[in-house]
Amino acid sequence: MSESEMEMAGHEAVREESPYGIQHKKLGIWLFILSDAVTFASVLFAYGYVRVGSPDWTRPFEFSPTIANGMVMTLALLTSSLTMLGALEAAKHDNKSRCLAWLGATMLLGTLFAALHIREWLKMMEDGWRLFQNPVGGPALFGATFFSITGLHLTHVVAGVVALAAVAGKFHRSRMNAGHVETVGLYWHFVDIVWMFVFPLVYLMNAK
Amino acid sequence: MGALKTKDGMSMGSFVAIWAGLLCIVGIEVFLTYRHFSSQKLLLFLLIFACIEASIAVMFFMHLKYERPSLFWSLVPALLFVLFMMDHFWPDALRLEHLRVVHW
Repeated sequence: MSESEMEMAGHEAVREESPYGIQHKKLGIWLFILSDAVTFASVLFAYGYVRVGSPDWTRPFEFSPTIANGMVMTLALLTSSLTMLGALEAAKHDNKSRCLAWLGATMLLGTLFAALHIREWLKMMEDGWRLFQNPVGGPALFGATFFSITGLHLTHVVAGVVALAAVAGKFHRSRMNAGHVETVGLYWHFVDIVWMFVFPLVYLMNAK
Repeated sequence: MGALKTKDGMSMGSFVAIWAGLLCIVGIEVFLTYRHFSSQKLLLFLLIFACIEASIAVMFFMHLKYERPSLFWSLVPALLFVLFMMDHFWPDALRLEHLRVVHW
Protein backbone atom coordinates (compact mmCIF):
# COMPACT_ATOMS: atom_id res chain seq x y z
CA MET A 1 0.00 0.00 0.00
CA SER A 2 1.20 3.54 -0.70
CA GLU A 3 1.52 6.05 2.10
CA SER A 4 -1.61 7.93 0.98
CA GLU A 5 -3.60 4.70 0.76
CA MET A 6 -2.53 3.73 4.25
CA GLU A 7 -3.57 7.14 5.58
CA MET A 8 -6.99 6.82 3.94
CA ALA A 9 -7.41 3.37 5.47
CA GLY A 10 -6.72 4.85 8.93
CA HIS A 11 -3.44 3.04 9.43
CA GLU A 12 -1.31 6.11 10.08
CA ALA A 13 -1.30 5.44 13.83
CA VAL A 14 0.38 2.05 13.26
CA ARG A 15 3.51 3.58 11.74
CA GLU A 16 5.97 5.07 14.17
CA GLU A 17 7.53 8.39 13.33
CA SER A 18 11.19 8.21 12.43
CA PRO A 19 13.29 9.47 15.37
CA TYR A 20 15.29 11.63 12.98
CA GLY A 21 12.34 13.15 11.15
CA ILE A 22 13.37 11.58 7.85
CA GLN A 23 11.94 8.86 5.65
CA HIS A 24 13.05 5.34 6.42
CA LYS A 25 14.76 4.91 3.07
CA LYS A 26 16.86 7.98 3.81
CA LEU A 27 17.88 6.61 7.21
CA GLY A 28 18.64 3.29 5.55
CA ILE A 29 20.96 4.82 2.98
CA TRP A 30 22.74 6.83 5.70
CA LEU A 31 23.39 3.64 7.66
CA PHE A 32 24.62 1.91 4.53
CA ILE A 33 26.91 4.86 3.79
CA LEU A 34 28.30 4.62 7.31
CA SER A 35 29.14 0.95 6.90
CA ASP A 36 30.63 1.47 3.44
CA ALA A 37 32.72 4.35 4.78
CA VAL A 38 34.22 2.04 7.36
CA THR A 39 34.92 -0.53 4.64
CA PHE A 40 36.80 1.99 2.54
CA ALA A 41 38.58 3.37 5.60
CA SER A 42 39.84 -0.08 6.53
CA VAL A 43 40.99 -0.79 2.96
CA LEU A 44 42.79 2.56 2.77
CA PHE A 45 44.26 1.99 6.19
CA ALA A 46 45.60 -1.42 5.13
CA TYR A 47 47.16 0.24 2.10
CA GLY A 48 48.75 2.90 4.29
CA TYR A 49 50.01 0.21 6.66
CA VAL A 50 51.87 -1.76 3.97
CA ARG A 51 53.08 1.43 2.33
CA VAL A 52 54.63 2.82 5.49
CA GLY A 53 56.15 -0.56 6.29
CA SER A 54 57.82 -0.88 2.87
CA PRO A 55 60.96 1.25 2.58
CA ASP A 56 61.28 0.51 -1.16
CA TRP A 57 57.70 1.44 -2.07
CA THR A 58 57.36 2.27 -5.78
CA ARG A 59 56.28 5.75 -6.81
CA PRO A 60 55.63 5.34 -10.52
CA PHE A 61 53.05 7.99 -11.38
CA GLU A 62 54.20 10.75 -13.69
CA PHE A 63 52.24 14.01 -13.78
CA SER A 64 51.35 13.26 -17.39
CA PRO A 65 49.40 11.18 -18.01
CA THR A 66 48.52 9.65 -14.63
CA ILE A 67 48.12 12.59 -12.26
CA ALA A 68 46.59 14.77 -14.97
CA ASN A 69 44.13 11.98 -15.78
CA GLY A 70 43.33 11.71 -12.08
CA MET A 71 42.62 15.44 -11.95
CA VAL A 72 40.22 15.15 -14.89
CA MET A 73 38.52 12.20 -13.17
CA THR A 74 38.20 14.28 -9.98
CA LEU A 75 36.68 17.15 -11.97
CA ALA A 76 34.18 14.76 -13.59
CA LEU A 77 33.12 13.24 -10.28
CA LEU A 78 32.86 16.57 -8.43
CA THR A 79 30.81 18.02 -11.30
CA SER A 80 28.56 14.96 -11.19
CA SER A 81 27.82 15.75 -7.53
CA LEU A 82 26.80 19.24 -8.64
CA THR A 83 24.51 17.89 -11.36
CA MET A 84 23.03 15.47 -8.83
CA LEU A 85 22.12 18.44 -6.64
CA GLY A 86 20.47 20.03 -9.69
CA ALA A 87 18.45 16.86 -10.19
CA LEU A 88 17.31 16.87 -6.59
CA GLU A 89 16.28 20.52 -6.68
CA ALA A 90 14.30 19.91 -9.87
CA ALA A 91 12.65 16.81 -8.37
CA LYS A 92 11.63 18.73 -5.23
CA HIS A 93 9.99 21.37 -7.46
CA ASP A 94 8.20 18.67 -9.49
CA ASN A 95 10.08 19.62 -12.64
CA LYS A 96 10.32 16.15 -14.16
CA SER A 97 12.03 16.98 -17.44
CA ARG A 98 14.71 19.09 -15.78
CA CYS A 99 15.30 16.43 -13.13
CA LEU A 100 15.76 13.78 -15.79
CA ALA A 101 18.15 16.03 -17.70
CA TRP A 102 20.28 16.56 -14.59
CA LEU A 103 20.20 12.84 -13.79
CA GLY A 104 21.31 12.14 -17.34
CA ALA A 105 24.22 14.55 -16.96
CA THR A 106 25.18 12.84 -13.68
CA MET A 107 25.15 9.42 -15.33
CA LEU A 108 27.18 10.74 -18.24
CA LEU A 109 29.85 12.15 -15.94
CA GLY A 110 29.91 8.93 -13.93
CA THR A 111 30.36 6.93 -17.11
CA LEU A 112 33.12 9.29 -18.22
CA PHE A 113 34.88 8.72 -14.89
CA ALA A 114 34.61 4.96 -15.31
CA ALA A 115 35.85 5.10 -18.91
CA LEU A 116 38.90 7.21 -17.96
CA HIS A 117 39.61 4.83 -15.11
CA ILE A 118 39.42 1.72 -17.26
CA ARG A 119 41.60 3.36 -19.89
CA GLU A 120 44.19 4.04 -17.22
CA TRP A 121 44.03 0.46 -15.99
CA LEU A 122 44.55 -0.87 -19.50
CA LYS A 123 47.56 1.39 -19.97
CA MET A 124 49.07 0.21 -16.69
CA MET A 125 48.48 -3.42 -17.57
CA GLU A 126 50.15 -2.79 -20.92
CA ASP A 127 53.17 -1.50 -19.00
CA GLY A 128 53.31 -4.73 -17.01
CA TRP A 129 51.40 -3.84 -13.84
CA ARG A 130 49.28 -6.63 -12.43
CA LEU A 131 47.61 -7.51 -9.17
CA PHE A 132 50.86 -9.11 -7.94
CA GLN A 133 53.39 -7.88 -10.46
CA ASN A 134 55.58 -4.80 -10.35
CA PRO A 135 57.45 -4.20 -13.62
CA VAL A 136 59.81 -1.57 -12.21
CA GLY A 137 60.95 -3.55 -9.18
CA GLY A 138 59.82 -2.87 -5.63
CA PRO A 139 56.95 -4.47 -3.73
CA ALA A 140 54.39 -6.41 -5.73
CA LEU A 141 51.86 -5.16 -3.18
CA PHE A 142 51.76 -1.87 -5.05
CA GLY A 143 49.71 -3.47 -7.79
CA ALA A 144 47.57 -5.34 -5.28
CA THR A 145 46.68 -2.24 -3.30
CA PHE A 146 46.26 0.02 -6.31
CA PHE A 147 43.99 -2.26 -8.31
CA SER A 148 41.92 -3.42 -5.35
CA ILE A 149 41.29 0.06 -3.94
CA THR A 150 40.55 1.70 -7.27
CA GLY A 151 38.62 -1.38 -8.40
CA LEU A 152 36.42 -1.29 -5.30
CA HIS A 153 35.72 2.40 -5.91
CA LEU A 154 35.08 1.82 -9.62
CA THR A 155 32.56 -0.90 -8.73
CA HIS A 156 30.73 1.60 -6.55
CA VAL A 157 30.72 4.16 -9.37
CA VAL A 158 29.31 1.67 -11.88
CA ALA A 159 26.68 0.49 -9.39
CA GLY A 160 25.79 4.14 -8.77
CA VAL A 161 25.29 4.81 -12.48
CA VAL A 162 23.02 1.76 -12.72
CA ALA A 163 21.05 2.93 -9.66
CA LEU A 164 20.71 6.42 -11.14
CA ALA A 165 19.39 4.93 -14.38
CA ALA A 166 16.85 2.83 -12.48
CA VAL A 167 15.65 5.80 -10.42
CA ALA A 168 15.51 8.03 -13.50
CA GLY A 169 13.39 5.48 -15.34
CA LYS A 170 10.96 5.05 -12.47
CA PHE A 171 10.82 8.79 -11.76
CA HIS A 172 9.95 9.37 -15.43
CA ARG A 173 7.01 6.95 -15.05
CA SER A 174 6.04 8.64 -11.73
CA ARG A 175 6.68 5.43 -9.81
CA MET A 176 9.35 7.13 -7.73
CA ASN A 177 9.43 10.57 -6.19
CA ALA A 178 11.89 13.21 -4.99
CA GLY A 179 12.62 11.12 -1.89
CA HIS A 180 14.04 8.35 -4.06
CA VAL A 181 16.10 10.84 -6.02
CA GLU A 182 17.47 12.17 -2.75
CA THR A 183 18.31 8.66 -1.54
CA VAL A 184 20.30 7.75 -4.65
CA GLY A 185 21.85 11.23 -4.53
CA LEU A 186 23.21 10.57 -1.04
CA TYR A 187 24.88 7.40 -2.31
CA TRP A 188 26.34 9.28 -5.27
CA HIS A 189 27.81 12.01 -3.05
CA PHE A 190 29.35 9.31 -0.86
CA VAL A 191 31.09 7.78 -3.91
CA ASP A 192 32.48 11.24 -4.66
CA ILE A 193 33.69 11.68 -1.08
CA VAL A 194 35.52 8.35 -1.18
CA TRP A 195 37.38 9.54 -4.28
CA MET A 196 38.49 12.63 -2.33
CA PHE A 197 40.53 10.20 -0.19
CA VAL A 198 41.53 7.73 -2.90
CA PHE A 199 43.00 10.34 -5.26
CA PRO A 200 45.42 11.92 -2.77
CA LEU A 201 46.35 8.74 -0.92
CA VAL A 202 46.72 6.37 -3.87
CA TYR A 203 47.70 8.71 -6.70
CA LEU A 204 49.35 11.81 -5.22
CA MET A 205 51.28 9.86 -2.55
CA ASN A 206 52.74 7.71 -5.36
CA ALA A 207 53.63 10.56 -7.68
CA LYS A 208 57.21 10.64 -8.95
CA MET B 1 16.98 27.81 -11.75
CA GLY B 2 19.63 29.64 -9.78
CA ALA B 3 16.89 31.56 -7.95
CA LEU B 4 15.23 28.38 -6.67
CA LYS B 5 16.16 27.83 -3.06
CA THR B 6 15.68 24.84 -0.82
CA LYS B 7 14.02 25.20 2.57
CA ASP B 8 17.51 25.52 4.10
CA GLY B 9 18.32 28.52 1.90
CA MET B 10 20.84 26.76 -0.33
CA SER B 11 20.58 27.64 -4.00
CA MET B 12 22.40 26.19 -6.99
CA GLY B 13 24.63 29.27 -6.86
CA SER B 14 25.77 28.25 -3.35
CA PHE B 15 26.42 24.71 -4.54
CA VAL B 16 28.47 25.98 -7.50
CA ALA B 17 30.56 28.09 -5.11
CA ILE B 18 31.16 25.05 -2.89
CA TRP B 19 32.03 22.97 -5.96
CA ALA B 20 34.58 25.59 -7.00
CA GLY B 21 36.02 25.60 -3.48
CA LEU B 22 36.42 21.83 -3.54
CA LEU B 23 38.22 22.04 -6.89
CA CYS B 24 40.57 24.63 -5.39
CA ILE B 25 41.38 22.24 -2.55
CA VAL B 26 42.20 19.54 -5.09
CA GLY B 27 44.49 22.02 -6.84
CA ILE B 28 46.23 22.76 -3.53
CA GLU B 29 46.72 19.04 -2.94
CA VAL B 30 48.37 18.61 -6.35
CA PHE B 31 50.52 21.68 -5.71
CA LEU B 32 51.69 20.34 -2.34
CA THR B 33 52.54 16.98 -3.93
CA TYR B 34 55.28 18.60 -5.98
CA ARG B 35 56.76 20.64 -3.14
CA HIS B 36 59.08 17.77 -2.17
CA PHE B 37 57.84 17.31 1.38
CA SER B 38 58.73 14.14 3.24
CA SER B 39 56.22 11.29 2.87
CA GLN B 40 54.93 11.72 6.41
CA LYS B 41 54.40 15.46 6.04
CA LEU B 42 52.74 15.09 2.62
CA LEU B 43 50.47 12.35 3.97
CA LEU B 44 49.45 14.57 6.88
CA PHE B 45 48.66 17.55 4.60
CA LEU B 46 46.73 15.41 2.12
CA LEU B 47 44.71 13.73 4.87
CA ILE B 48 43.82 17.08 6.42
CA PHE B 49 42.64 18.49 3.11
CA ALA B 50 40.75 15.29 2.27
CA CYS B 51 38.94 15.48 5.62
CA ILE B 52 38.07 19.13 4.96
CA GLU B 53 36.68 18.24 1.55
CA ALA B 54 34.71 15.32 2.95
CA SER B 55 33.26 17.44 5.76
CA ILE B 56 32.14 20.14 3.32
CA ALA B 57 30.58 17.56 1.00
CA VAL B 58 28.80 15.75 3.85
CA MET B 59 27.47 18.93 5.45
CA PHE B 60 26.35 20.75 2.30
CA PHE B 61 26.04 18.34 -0.61
CA MET B 62 24.52 15.62 1.56
CA HIS B 63 22.57 18.22 3.58
CA LEU B 64 23.59 16.76 6.95
CA LYS B 65 23.97 20.32 8.27
CA TYR B 66 20.24 20.85 7.74
CA GLU B 67 19.01 17.59 9.21
CA ARG B 68 18.08 17.17 12.83
CA PRO B 69 21.11 17.24 15.18
CA SER B 70 20.12 13.78 16.43
CA LEU B 71 20.98 12.31 13.01
CA PHE B 72 24.38 14.00 12.99
CA TRP B 73 25.18 12.83 16.54
CA SER B 74 24.04 9.28 15.76
CA LEU B 75 26.22 8.92 12.66
CA VAL B 76 29.36 10.99 12.98
CA PRO B 77 30.73 10.11 16.44
CA ALA B 78 30.37 6.39 15.71
CA LEU B 79 32.31 6.77 12.46
CA LEU B 80 35.00 8.90 14.10
CA PHE B 81 35.36 6.36 16.91
CA VAL B 82 35.95 3.52 14.45
CA LEU B 83 38.48 5.58 12.49
CA PHE B 84 40.23 6.56 15.70
CA MET B 85 40.50 2.96 16.88
CA MET B 86 41.87 1.87 13.49
CA ASP B 87 44.67 4.40 13.77
CA HIS B 88 46.15 2.63 16.81
CA PHE B 89 47.98 0.24 14.49
CA TRP B 90 50.23 2.88 12.88
CA PRO B 91 53.12 2.24 15.33
CA ASP B 92 53.14 -1.39 14.13
CA ALA B 93 53.54 -0.20 10.55
CA LEU B 94 56.43 2.05 11.52
CA ARG B 95 58.09 -0.81 13.45
CA LEU B 96 57.60 -3.18 10.52
CA GLU B 97 60.27 -1.40 8.57
CA HIS B 98 62.87 -2.28 11.21
CA LEU B 99 61.74 -5.87 11.70
CA ARG B 100 62.68 -7.01 8.21
CA VAL B 101 65.19 -9.85 7.84
CA VAL B 102 68.49 -8.58 6.49
CA HIS B 103 69.91 -10.79 3.74
CA TRP B 104 73.72 -10.70 3.70
